[in-house]
Amino acid sequence: MPTLRGQTTLMNVRFRLLLIILLALNTATVSAESPKLGHRLSAIKITLPAPDFTLLDMDEEEHSLSDYRGKVVMLNFWATWCPPCRREMPSMERLHNQLDKDKFKVLAINQMESADHVFAYTGQLDVDPTFTILFDLNSEVSRKLNVKGLPTTYLIDKQGNIRYRAIGGREFDHPEVIRLIKQLIDE
Amino acid sequence: MKKLTLIVLSAFTLSACTHTTEVKVTLNETNGLTTWTSSGDGFSVEFIQVVPDFIRAIYGKHDFPKKEIEDIASYCVYGSVIKNTSDKVLTYRVSDWRYVQDGKTYPVKTKTQWLNQWQQSGVVFSWTLLPDEGEFYEGDWQQGFTTVKLERESFFDFIYTWQLDGVEHTSTIRNMQCPPYEVKPRS
Repeated sequence: MPTLRGQTTLMNVRFRLLLIILLALNTATVSAESPKLGHRLSAIKITLPAPDFTLLDMDEEEHSLSDYRGKVVMLNFWATWCPPCRREMPSMERLHNQLDKDKFKVLAINQMESADHVFAYTGQLDVDPTFTILFDLNSEVSRKLNVKGLPTTYLIDKQGNIRYRAIGGREFDHPEVIRLIKQLIDE
Repeated sequence: MKKLTLIVLSAFTLSACTHTTEVKVTLNETNGLTTWTSSGDGFSVEFIQVVPDFIRAIYGKHDFPKKEIEDIASYCVYGSVIKNTSDKVLTYRVSDWRYVQDGKTYPVKTKTQWLNQWQQSGVVFSWTLLPDEGEFYEGDWQQGFTTVKLERESFFDFIYTWQLDGVEHTSTIRNMQCPPYEVKPRS
C-alpha cells in the first residue's frame, strides 16, 4: 500500500504556497462566471451494482464500499484543483451533518493527490470536512465507476446499487437531494 | 471585475434543424481575457481564454515533463464549461468538433489524443481536459480545457455539435480568438 502521510513540514508549506498561487490564478482566469450550482440528481435508468473497491483515508485506514452495505452512500469524485468540487464541498459537509450517520455515509474520493496536499487544502476551509476522504492515487476506482470528469457524484442504495448520478457541482443540502436520500434510506 | 459584453445573434441553417444561437462575448478588463458563451437547443458552452503561464502552473504542479508542459502551453487553451440546459438526454463528442481558419478546417485535439501523447512521456495524470464524450442528464455540466493549435491571438470559427434525445445539432462561434501570451489588464 502506498504511504500517504509522513511528508515533511517543509513539503506542507510548499504545497500550501502553491495551492494559494493556483487558487488565485484560477479565480482570476478560469472561473470568470461560474454556473450557479443546481440540485438535480438524475435517476440511473438501468440499476447496476457499484463495483467494490478499497482505498485508504487520511489516517491510512482502509475503507471498502462493501463495508457500508445497509447504508445509503454518496460517492463523490473530486480534486482540490477542481473549482466546482471546491464549491460543492461545504454543502456536502452540511448534508453529512444533517443525516443520521448510521444510515448515510459520504465517501469523497480524491483523485491523484497526496494526503498532505489535501490536508493543506482542507486546513484552509472555513469548516473542516468531517466526512470521509479517500485517496484514489492512480484513478483506478474512478475508471471502475466510469467517471469521465470531476466532480461526479453517485448515490448508492443500501444494496450497493448505483441509483442516482450528478456530473458537475451541486448544492447537496438542497431539500430535494435530502428527500431523495431519505427515500433510499426508507426503501 | 470590469467586463464588456457583446451579444451576437447568429442564425444557421442546418441539415438536421434550423436554430438561432446567441453568442455572448465578454471581455474581462481586469486581465484582458475574453470569454465566449453560447447557448441554444439544450446546450450551453462557455470558452474562457487561458494564458500559457496558467497552463504551465497547472501541469507543473502535476509534475509533467517540461517538454509536455511547453507543448500544451503552445496551444490556444480555453477553460470550457458545457451544460445540459434541457430536461432531455444530451450527448457530445469532442472528436466531432472543428475549428476553421483561412478556409481550412481542423479537428479539435481530444483528451484521448493528449493522454496517448502524455503516456509516452510517463505521465499518468488524466484530468483537467474536457472529456472526449459525455452523456448528460438534466442539470449535468462539466469543466475542462479545450485546445486548439493556431497562432497566438489569431481569429477562427469554432464549430461544435451535440445530440439532444438523439437529434443532431450544430452551432458555430464566429471570430473566437487564441489567448494572448500573457494577461493584459485594460484598466
